Amino acid sequence: MKGTEGITRDPHFKLLSFLITSARGCVDEPSLYGTLRLIDAAARLIDIMKEEGKATEELLNLKKTIEENIALVMYDEKAYIEFLDRLVRDLAKIIKKAS
Amino acid sequence: MSSDDILEIIKGRRCVRRFRDGREDIPDEYIRKILEAGIWAPSAGNIQPWEFVVVRDRDKIDKIKLVSPGLFGDPSAIIVVCINLERARKGGKGGEVMAIMDVSMATQNMMLMAYSLGIGSCPIASFSKTAVKELLDIPDHIEPVLLITLGYVDAWPNPPKRRSLEEVVHYEGY
Repeated sequence: MKGTEGITRDPHFKLLSFLITSARGCVDEPSLYGTLRLIDAAARLIDIMKEEGKATEELLNLKKTIEENIALVMYDEKAYIEFLDRLVRDLAKIIKKAS
Repeated sequence: MSSDDILEIIKGRRCVRRFRDGREDIPDEYIRKILEAGIWAPSAGNIQPWEFVVVRDRDKIDKIKLVSPGLFGDPSAIIVVCINLERARKGGKGGEVMAIMDVSMATQNMMLMAYSLGIGSCPIASFSKTAVKELLDIPDHIEPVLLITLGYVDAWPNPPKRRSLEEVVHYEGY
């Protein structure tokens, strides 16, 4: 079994920490923040896929879209939900295109 | 300093979620000025229930980031704004609620001072209090309430829309 030395720099561990602390945080936070954490986690996952050489151009574009729109959750709920819809459509296109 | 200068600082402060790359160190005297602004906030019954834990060590900042889903960007420093529960209880039944108001006012003071020094900041409530207490050896009677991230900024974010005075102000009755 591996030791914990350096684990805090491991991108998978970073995502794991984010997910666990988000799970607890969501209990007390506005309901929309749950979607915010999920979409933030998705962006972090794309980062990991990029580091591992698994991220396609389309996935990197998804991440760019997330970065450009994630702050809408603070200011414009309607626009934020429309952004999530757009993101789902973009994801569906990637899935549809995949062999 | 004129009232316009003060309003300019109040209106100019933004929540910064993207700091300049490289985590430039904030000078000690700036950190001290920011903290001094904090302790000059008003407090109910002059209880001054606040405690501030200043974190500038990069490794510790990274560890706090791991347990703070609402913390965006790479700040140069973090101030953990805490309530001293033993002091807050001197305020009676509502002491803890009042203490939250007090540390919130201290937080605003600190963020305004940071802005006036050219430093971006963001108050963050979305972090694991339990984990931060563990990471920073914070004792049981000290309760973290907010994180203030601090760092230099390449571009200040645009201000979000404000509800107008006409909408939110009610003169002589609601």
